[in-house]
Amino acid sequence: MTYRLEMNDMTKKYGDFLANDGVSIKLKKGEVLAIVGENGAGKTTLMRMLYGLEQPTSGEIFLNGKSVHFTGPEDGIEHGIGMVHQHFMLFPDFTVAENIVIGREPKSYGFFNRKAASEAVQKLVEQYRISVNPARKAGDCSVGEQQRIEILKVLYQGADIIILDEPTAVLTPAEVDELLNTVRFLASQGKSIILITHKLREVMKVADQITVLRNGRVTGQVKKAETTADELAQLMVGRELQELSERDQLEGAPLLEVKEITIGINSSKPVLDNVSLMVNRGEILGIAGVSGNGQSELIQAISGLKKVDAGSILLDSKDVTGTTVAFRRNAGISHIPEDRYLWGAAKEGSIVDNGLMGYYKQKKFNRNSVLLKNAFRSKVSGWISRFEIKAASMDDQAGNLSGGNLQKLIVARELGFETDFLIAAEPTRGVDIGAMEYIHEALLAKRNNGDGILLVSSELSEIMALSDRIAVMYEGKIAGLLDRKDATEEKLSVLMAGGKENEASKNTAAIV
Amino acid sequence: MKLQRILQQSFKSLAQPLLAVLIGILTGALAISFIGESVWDTYKVMWNGAFGSFYFVTATLARATPIIFIGVGLALAFRAGVFNLGAEGQMVLGAVAAALAALFIPGPGIVKILSALAAGILAGGLWALLAAWMEARFKIQLLISTLLLNYVAVLFAGYLVAQPFQDKTGSAALAQTSMLGQAAWLPKLFPGMSLHFGFIMAIICAIILYFILRFTSAGYEVRMLGHNPFFAEYGGINKTKVLFVSMFFSGGIAGLAGTAEVLGSQYRYVEGALTVPGYAWTGLMAALLANSNPLGTAVAAILLAALQTGAMGMERNTEVPLEIASVIQGVLILFISAKFTFNWWNLRKKAGAANGSV
Amino acid sequence: MDLFDYSLFISAIRMVSPILLAALGGALCARVGIFNVGLEGLILAGAFSAIVGNHYSGSVFVAVLSGAAGAVLVSLLFGIVTIKFKANAIVAGIAVNFLVLGLTTFLLRALFDVKGAYYDKNMEGLPKWDIPLIEHIPVIGKLISGHSPLVYIAFLAAILLYVYLYRTVAGFRLLAVGKNLSASKSMGLKVTAIQYGAVLMSGVLCGLAGAQLSLGQVTMFTEGMTAGRGFIALVAMMLGQSHPIGILGSSMLFGLMDALSVRLQGFSVPTQFTAMLPYLITIIAMFFLKDKGSDSQLSGQQSTR
Repeated sequence: MTYRLEMNDMTKKYGDFLANDGVSIKLKKGEVLAIVGENGAGKTTLMRMLYGLEQPTSGEIFLNGKSVHFTGPEDGIEHGIGMVHQHFMLFPDFTVAENIVIGREPKSYGFFNRKAASEAVQKLVEQYRISVNPARKAGDCSVGEQQRIEILKVLYQGADIIILDEPTAVLTPAEVDELLNTVRFLASQGKSIILITHKLREVMKVADQITVLRNGRVTGQVKKAETTADELAQLMVGRELQELSERDQLEGAPLLEVKEITIGINSSKPVLDNVSLMVNRGEILGIAGVSGNGQSELIQAISGLKKVDAGSILLDSKDVTGTTVAFRRNAGISHIPEDRYLWGAAKEGSIVDNGLMGYYKQKKFNRNSVLLKNAFRSKVSGWISRFEIKAASMDDQAGNLSGGNLQKLIVARELGFETDFLIAAEPTRGVDIGAMEYIHEALLAKRNNGDGILLVSSELSEIMALSDRIAVMYEGKIAGLLDRKDATEEKLSVLMAGGKENEASKNTAAIV
Repeated sequence: MKLQRILQQSFKSLAQPLLAVLIGILTGALAISFIGESVWDTYKVMWNGAFGSFYFVTATLARATPIIFIGVGLALAFRAGVFNLGAEGQMVLGAVAAALAALFIPGPGIVKILSALAAGILAGGLWALLAAWMEARFKIQLLISTLLLNYVAVLFAGYLVAQPFQDKTGSAALAQTSMLGQAAWLPKLFPGMSLHFGFIMAIICAIILYFILRFTSAGYEVRMLGHNPFFAEYGGINKTKVLFVSMFFSGGIAGLAGTAEVLGSQYRYVEGALTVPGYAWTGLMAALLANSNPLGTAVAAILLAALQTGAMGMERNTEVPLEIASVIQGVLILFISAKFTFNWWNLRKKAGAANGSV
Repeated sequence: MDLFDYSLFISAIRMVSPILLAALGGALCARVGIFNVGLEGLILAGAFSAIVGNHYSGSVFVAVLSGAAGAVLVSLLFGIVTIKFKANAIVAGIAVNFLVLGLTTFLLRALFDVKGAYYDKNMEGLPKWDIPLIEHIPVIGKLISGHSPLVYIAFLAAILLYVYLYRTVAGFRLLAVGKNLSASKSMGLKVTAIQYGAVLMSGVLCGLAGAQLSLGQVTMFTEGMTAGRGFIALVAMMLGQSHPIGILGSSMLFGLMDALSVRLQGFSVPTQFTAMLPYLITIIAMFFLKDKGSDSQLSGQQSTR
């Protein structure tokens, strides 16, 4: 039998960098292939070549045994390949139906037949048991619904091969389960699915075949039935993960107190709803939750980027509610932001300029408003060597750094303030394993030093590895607070989905 | 390795302006030969008109004066990340305020001059601040509001000098204020030449702004706001304050452009004297040409002024019309704004990578 | 003389058409994410090429076509620079204005050997169309009938553009490109072609606007004869939220004000204030409008360099 899709010996070079090196995959009808690997392993590049968004440096693609050559996404669509992007490609102002049919609109004499579009979408909804309301505006839909729109979009285009790029990152556990069911159902209807992810639990649930990538190379091609999650992890990372350092037992005084803060008090669904929490010295408080449940607002409220409508924030027993960002930074809050390109850096600025943020008014670096750049350059070069930041020169644009190196620069900058309190939001998002271990180690060292850290992460594994206590956020509220020793993935998952803590223990009891 | 990098980078940043200038000159040559004149001779006449003698050089610098002010003011706004299109209105209001201050504030010459300067900066600055306030408070795009406010300002200034403050002494009812007393005039730099003290002020202004942007914490705040407003806010920079201050001085410097023309050259506010020569747009082009570097902006302003004075000289001595300067300027800016070096550079990189893999 | 009478409204309708045509062109560009500040230049190019066409062919029809063609050429240049070479559209638009102003004046000298204005009494202007039946209706007849064809085309264009944008597939795709460029690309829409199409079409519309200026009332070309109409059109486009019917309304309003300010010169009211009104109204409207001009990719922030 011929394979529906074969990619042979795919290689992609960016300058001297090998993003893909001789990668081959095969996919049959009705099969789910998972491509797993760490960030930067080359998963996305491989899929972009398949979809026609990138041209391979060398290698061949066969569809149903025939060699094909794609120059743009329309070629991919033409040949029945559909991609559900990690960042949704939607038009918020258009209706769900319009979003789905765009590019292949039902028409008569050039006029857009919107009724036929709605009907076609309704038919798909029934055929594939994916629920959306075709008449709704896409912008009003929940994240889960938006993803279903994306899937319907590729189905409408008649895709036989559906690529799902990190589809579960933004979903609640319940939505994840629903998605995985959909994936299995689609496969049973004869569709072939490629699932790109780094979450092994999901892979073990739905995949038939698994291909593991590391540093652009295939390190393993296995059947699900013949492998375990542990083996996959080993293949992904290529070595034993480093054990984190010991955590010292510390009994710290309260450092940061958040008391009953609310944002959006007049709306029926406040983004932050009466949130209280406390971070002690010598403690990492982890905030778990599906992204979009108020974590960003919590961070912004604490750092001073957003005003709270009610409640107060105390740092070291001093009320800092309503003060500016600069005031709080001086008072002792440093902050690794959740999105390094949006908040954390000026891509067009030099590395020195990026490092200078927050320091430029300090006496050491500023005499009568004139910047003492030389003093600062030596500080930055210290960071570069200590954190092993790979940069061509300190005067190079920060945007030229790789994601991991830029993140290390930001972490170095924020740790360099040596404040008592640190907000670490998604500190390792999109960085490679080496940088991740490095950053985790640095955070733990800060904790052992007696400082307090608020860790916000959508990666449960990161939360569980680092936190002393874990709070779960759901719909702007703290849904539960667990001690390190009590926290299990199951309990946290239930809380993340809006369940109650005792339900969690009941469920786990049932499982046990 | 390092030298190569520096060379590459300076080549990268210079290649585009040079290419644009070349295309501009070629277009001009094409136009000249279309009329049937000798390209070489015409350009020579043009050069002489701009730099041919000491007199012409000073005339060029005099014309450059308001353009430098405008360009430098805009460079500040651009650095702060906002597209101030309102230099014309800011300049005109500055000019009319300065003229009125110099006319009506009593006192010796120096008092009149200083209060005129203050009035000019204040009028231009506050007008710009209005747009900044609308942006910060109501999210009305500054780019659009400044464009709209230009017309309001120019028409309002026109009303002032056509109605309440019109010079009634002359026989013809021109839209202009009365002549300022001689004590309030800015001194000429050379007797008999049009170049006045305003030029020195413009150059000092450019140097100060260069220094502030490059070496001070205030300049750092402006640059970071321009690079990424979210990053600036996250780092503790007061976004609104920096925006307001930048826009105030951006408009204030544009106001100075008008003030210097009134005090140093026209000695009164004449309707159209500042708008018809298109100082504001030329200043905008100077800032764009120099990528918002204040010193570069001053140089670009002088070059653009030279293009215009040269074209005037050309019109006096040949059959080629003055407007060739506008054509060359338009082409110049069109090709400066295009990002083809970037593309071309990438292509080379890609080609290099492809070769490497063979 | 009355302040308001028929002739005021008749002249208003006449003044509306160039603004309306150009504003529709600007809206097309805005709808694909390109803020076209070059409308002024495009109209001027249209006005000039219309006169050139008239001079050399002697036919009004050819003159109108050549007016459109001239503006399309300029818009093509604008399109190449902004779409292919990713230039900042605002900067490119300003450059286009400069370029056309210089070029038309230059060519006026080169082709006709005159300075300031070109007028030839032998040139035929646009005809006045009397609409049968309607022309005899008392009040409305005078108002609606007896305008140049381009006046009717302007109003028709607004309606056609509305139908195009909100009823046809091609219009739907055009809107999509302006709303989310990368999503449109990912859906396989021919984004670049759609953008070029919009820019060139805005050239056609501005060319017609220019032809109405130079052939409509008096058949002549004057240096810089657009006198800011391109910017008024831009403002009409903003006030009309780039929606064809909204633009129809704002253009009529501005046309009326234009006519009014001419009329007011006879009444010793400072005309500066009436001339200011379109801008003031638009500024005030911006406080209330949902779309504050930040729609699509035309945001000026971060794009100056």
